[in-house]
Amino acid sequence: MISKTFLKETKELLRDGRVRIAIIIVLSLLGVAVWISARHYQNVNEQYALAKTAERGIWDNQGEKNPHSAAHYGTYAFKPKYPLSLVDQGVDKYAGTSIFLEAHKRNEAQFSAAADQTGLARFGDLTPDFILLFIIPLLIILLGYNSFTKEREMGTLTLLKSQGISGWKWLMGKWAALFLPIFGITAVVFLLAGVLLGNLSDFGVFRWNSLLMLFLVYMAYYIIFINIVLLISSRTKKSGISLVVSLCVWIITCLAAPKAASNIAETKHPYPTRQEFAANVLKDKKEGLDGHNPWSKEAKLLEEQVLREYGVDSLHQLPFNFDGYRMQKGEEHQAEVYFKHYNYLKEQYTQQSRVYKGLAAISPYLPTRFLSMAIAHTDYDTHWDFADAAETYRIATQKFLNDNFAVNSSYGEWSYRADATTWKELPAFEYNPPELNTILSRNSSNLGILGIWLLASFGLLLFTSKTI
Amino acid sequence: MLSYNFKYELKLLLRSRWIQLLSIVLLLLFGFSVYNGMQKVEKRQNDIAAAQQEVKENDAMMLKLLDSVERGMEVSASPWTIPTSPMAVGNYHPRVAAMETQSMSFVSTGQADLFTHYVKPTVAGDDFALNFAEMTSPVQLLFGSFDLAFVIIYLLPLLIIAFSYNVLSSEKESGSLRLLAAQPIGIQNWVLQKLGLRFFWLSVLVIAALIIVFLSLGLNPFAGTTLFFGLLGLILVYMLFWFALAFLVNLWVGSSAKNAVAMLGLWVVFVLLVPSVLNQLGNTIYPMPSRTLMINEMRSLKAEVTKKQDEILDNFLRDHPEYALNDTTQSRGFYHRYMASQKLVKEELSPVVNAYEEQLQKQQHWIGRFKWISPAIIAQESLNHMAGTSTQDYENFRKQVIAFAGTWREHFMPFLYNNQNFSQKDYPNLPSFTYIQKSQSRLSAILLLLGMAIGLFGLGFLVSKKGKHVSILNQG
Repeated sequence: MISKTFLKETKELLRDGRVRIAIIIVLSLLGVAVWISARHYQNVNEQYALAKTAERGIWDNQGEKNPHSAAHYGTYAFKPKYPLSLVDQGVDKYAGTSIFLEAHKRNEAQFSAAADQTGLARFGDLTPDFILLFIIPLLIILLGYNSFTKEREMGTLTLLKSQGISGWKWLMGKWAALFLPIFGITAVVFLLAGVLLGNLSDFGVFRWNSLLMLFLVYMAYYIIFINIVLLISSRTKKSGISLVVSLCVWIITCLAAPKAASNIAETKHPYPTRQEFAANVLKDKKEGLDGHNPWSKEAKLLEEQVLREYGVDSLHQLPFNFDGYRMQKGEEHQAEVYFKHYNYLKEQYTQQSRVYKGLAAISPYLPTRFLSMAIAHTDYDTHWDFADAAETYRIATQKFLNDNFAVNSSYGEWSYRADATTWKELPAFEYNPPELNTILSRNSSNLGILGIWLLASFGLLLFTSKTI
Repeated sequence: MLSYNFKYELKLLLRSRWIQLLSIVLLLLFGFSVYNGMQKVEKRQNDIAAAQQEVKENDAMMLKLLDSVERGMEVSASPWTIPTSPMAVGNYHPRVAAMETQSMSFVSTGQADLFTHYVKPTVAGDDFALNFAEMTSPVQLLFGSFDLAFVIIYLLPLLIIAFSYNVLSSEKESGSLRLLAAQPIGIQNWVLQKLGLRFFWLSVLVIAALIIVFLSLGLNPFAGTTLFFGLLGLILVYMLFWFALAFLVNLWVGSSAKNAVAMLGLWVVFVLLVPSVLNQLGNTIYPMPSRTLMINEMRSLKAEVTKKQDEILDNFLRDHPEYALNDTTQSRGFYHRYMASQKLVKEELSPVVNAYEEQLQKQQHWIGRFKWISPAIIAQESLNHMAGTSTQDYENFRKQVIAFAGTWREHFMPFLYNNQNFSQKDYPNLPSFTYIQKSQSRLSAILLLLGMAIGLFGLGFLVSKKGKHVSILNQG
């Protein structure tokens, strides 16, 4: 019975001109989207490689210089793009791509692509994730809205009932007929993406298991939609009504809920404005040691403490340059201040995430979106991860420079110039994104929510199949 | 016939509870979105007010310090922050350059979540270091905001689709079409009247819901009458466009479900696909130069300039002999060299920086040329203009701030190069910033949308007249 229903439904779908057109449109859109993203990706990565080597060159060839001047001169950390961004661009467009690493200051990532685009960019881009997250669910609605209602409208329902058909077998047949084309389209696209990514050279770390996981997440999302659409179709009397109700679900899930969630999250747990944040940091910085100010109270305290520790009575007798030492201590204090304030931002974001997870109860789109971005290394967490790595590198760089200053010169010797070869000794900035396992355990709650949606929608569908 | 239709349609809509349902849905959507918009506006106003207040307090402290110094008293501040030095005033006591809210700012978030609404340019900082990006979680930027513009552009058409997809087909499906055909009225006219009446009722509901929401949230819609009527006009013509589309689809396509699918497809095309494709094409045809490569360029230039600081200062002073004349001490310190080189860097880099503005303008121009393809783009753009949150508004703000940063810098130059102290009597002369909103005409967008709607209606008549022999009765 299941296979018979399946065959009949599939035939019907294949014969329907609208369905063929819709599938062709979706596939060609996906093709274009993948092509655009691949080009964009290559472009960005070429620029990344170029900028990275050029910046290192600028750093290495500073010439003779006081290490602290070099610290102020600073360097840049550039954020690479990862292979799976081909599938999901995530928040990449809205997050900055380069961080300036200098003395005394932790800088935000600068230059997001969205800031350099027109207002039209806010409508969204033609990227694979747009098709996968918005258009394919619409396709599911288009394919399945009249799955049951047509039997009612054509009068075949009475015929079927007289055959003594069991509800769930009938349902499974219809379900399979709806699932298979969606599965096919998605599998082809992911396979293509995989082959494309596997063949491109120097394409970062591409792993098939990440792609597979991404595929599974999307399949779960689609299955939830299939269940909902079939549920609506079996509960309504007319095809038109079924379509409109399914559409309402789509609007709420994909459009309204995320936007409402973002509004609620912002009102409840707002970020400070850029200027406020800077002012707060400045206030805290002033309360501690400033490496440039030897006259402050904190500097005097440090002086006494170091003199006592080394058992000498003048800074000149210390085995190192106290200026460099104080500079490093000041740096450590400032790093702590930044750590505190950035942690506050993270805390706010964690709270915001809770709002998103809460609203996932009415929208399976939300957990899917977050999981997809996370696996593709294009989510906000990866961005934080990168920013933290850059900050760690900045702190290490400052220590390297201050130590050089402290060890190689004597107190008051501001005219000291480090050798031109010094700069090459600083190891280059390297960043590796978290592995798949880490990502999945970090996002376990999103996985859980998606699982609940999956089970609940299946349960409800099977439960109602008895009373069609 | 019209009065007959009118009465019958109203009864039908009331009995099928469409009117009741729509009123509730509209009230909820408008209420939530306007409330969201107002909260954003309120936060923005509070942030700006707090920043202004802070400057005021700082100024009071600065004046006190100046007073003490001028009386020859000992002060406890760090030596380089004492405001007798003009550079200290220019760096530690910047003014707030704020973009105030407009009366309609709550309508559309536009680019408001992306860009900051106030900056404090200092003398030492360079223009590229002025960061106009706001600190927002990128997830929020990705999802966008549930504002009135979203309700109007995305959701209202869907309501119209649900409201009008089966005007003709339901008659056919329930068998009453044959009865109708016996009436002395053409089918197109009948569909037009029926859709016209639905448009009328939906308009009444939309206007009433908007006014109720505005009043209950403490906004007076009639305070800025032209603005409010501009908003209403835009909403109505945008709705008219979708009704015109519904008219066309109703005449053209067959069954209810097919109609709904066709209209939904059009919605996806106009609201989702066309904007993103246009944006992508704009980016491809006029690509933004790489920001990362710009950083490289800026870095090399600055490195070069730093090496030649003394030479640059000499050249600068040769160009400005007045400084050499007025200053008797002729002492030259860090800032003399720094400001002169900074000026040079700025001049050298301006073509690089302008390239971004130019490219953005070209993209904007490109969109302007093709925006008529999608009414959603027209509506979104004019709502953004109305709210003062469009790309152009922020570009404007950016330009005004950069000009102000220049004024601020220039204001301290004579002090610096004349080695003249800043004093209390100089305080009132400090430049201040006022944002000037450039208003844009809304009428053209409304007329464009109206033209599109009328065109579609005309098309509907033309097509159905031509194909008259393929009678509507025999279809499907």
